[in-house]
Parts: sequence; C-alpha cells; structure tokens
Amino acid sequence: MFQGRIIDTKLRKLSIQDAEKFIASSDFGASIFFSGTVRNQNDNKSVIGITYDTHDALVIQSFEEIYNEANEKLEIKNKAVFIDHAKGYLNLGEISIIIAVATKHREEAYKLSRYIIEEIKKRSPIWKKEHYQNSESNWLKGNPLVNEKN
Amino acid sequence: MKVKIELFGATRDFSDQNILELSLNNDSTIEDARIEIIKYLKKNFDGNKDFVRIVNTSAFSSENNNIVSDNYKIKNNEKIAIIPPIGGG
Repeated sequence: MFQGRIIDTKLRKLSIQDAEKFIASSDFGASIFFSGTVRNQNDNKSVIGITYDTHDALVIQSFEEIYNEANEKLEIKNKAVFIDHAKGYLNLGEISIIIAVATKHREEAYKLSRYIIEEIKKRSPIWKKEHYQNSESNWLKGNPLVNEKN
Repeated sequence: MKVKIELFGATRDFSDQNILELSLNNDSTIEDARIEIIKYLKKNFDGNKDFVRIVNTSAFSSENNNIVSDNYKIKNNEKIAIIPPIGGG
C-alpha cells in the first residue's frame, strides 16, 4: 500500500493526520512517522525560510521505485508507506517532508523509514533555496545524479 | 531544430522564463545541448563558473520523464528537463 505526493505549499500544509489516516490498519503492529522541518541555521547562516523546487513526475516516480525496491532489498513485502514532500516556500518550523510507514514488526518499520529518507536524499529531484536574515538567498549545492563532464 | 530546456533548482537562475529555447542541428544529442547551454551562459553571464559547473554536473530528463545519457538523440520540439545536483528532504 503506497501513496506519494507533492504538496504545493500555496494550497495546503503537510499534515501528519493525513499520514495517520493512510497507514492505519490492524494488519500492522508498528508504525513510524518521520517529518523534516525547516531549521533556523545552516553553515553558520541564519535561515528564515526555504523554497522547495521539484520535478514532480520524476519525484513521484522515484518514490514509487523506492517503495517497490523495499520488497527485495529489505525483504519487507507487507507494508504501508505514505510520503508527502512540499513544493514552494516554507517558514521556519514548517514541515517539508512526511514519511509514514507501517509494518508487522518494529525492526522492519525502523529499517524501512530510514531507507526511504536516505534514498530520497540521493535520487529524488528536489532542490532547496535557503533564504537568510540578511535578505540573501542561495540554492544549496546538492548531490549530482551524474559524474561531472569536462 | 528547436528544443526547450525546462529549468529546475539552481538552473532557474539562468533565465526569468524557467525555460531556455535552443536552436540545435537535427540529430543533436544531450551532449550538444549541454555545449549550447554553456555557450548561452558565456554570452549572457560572462561564463559564470558556478553556472557552468552546475551544467556539467547536471543530468537531463526526456519529455517522457526518463533520465537520459549524453548520447540520447533529442527530437524536434522536445522539452528536455535539466536536473542539477539534488537535495530534498
């Protein structure tokens, strides 16, 4: 059972309640909710907000791939996974990502939750532009999907 | 032929339009598009080294949302996305 979405922050906020509703099932004995929020410091700079940019189709595709990989790589077949990621501007403390997982046992749930966030960081086309107290802003460097060309 | 490059992340700073329109020879590849984007940066941003580096570390996605290699042949009027280094969450 899977749901992955990009949430336009101009239209609505990310909601843990949405995640709870989606993964609720008596088939599962363990559930984990991970949320990422905008923090006020990065590289010794005072951050006041972040703009998230996404390639929506590729992001959703990557979420589905990550979900499907868990069957074989982690050997977790029975599971519910909910992933929401923000697109647009967020203030300090607002939620940028929610990953909710439900599995039969806690060990699988911890493993799956960690796997999903690490893989999203590596391969989902999402970008962050930090906005600072001094009115400047900066796209964060990120990880390339290809080796550098000359 | 005409090709549209959809800009994401740091490459959005390359244009106010969120898209670059390139004229390329028929049968051009992603590698040719990359060279053409760098020419555009030389002309419009004095070859800004950070921008050039971003292009050289970017992947590209075809119009049907597949990450494609440098020898992928671009179709006339195809909309390609440039995927600079990523980092969400």
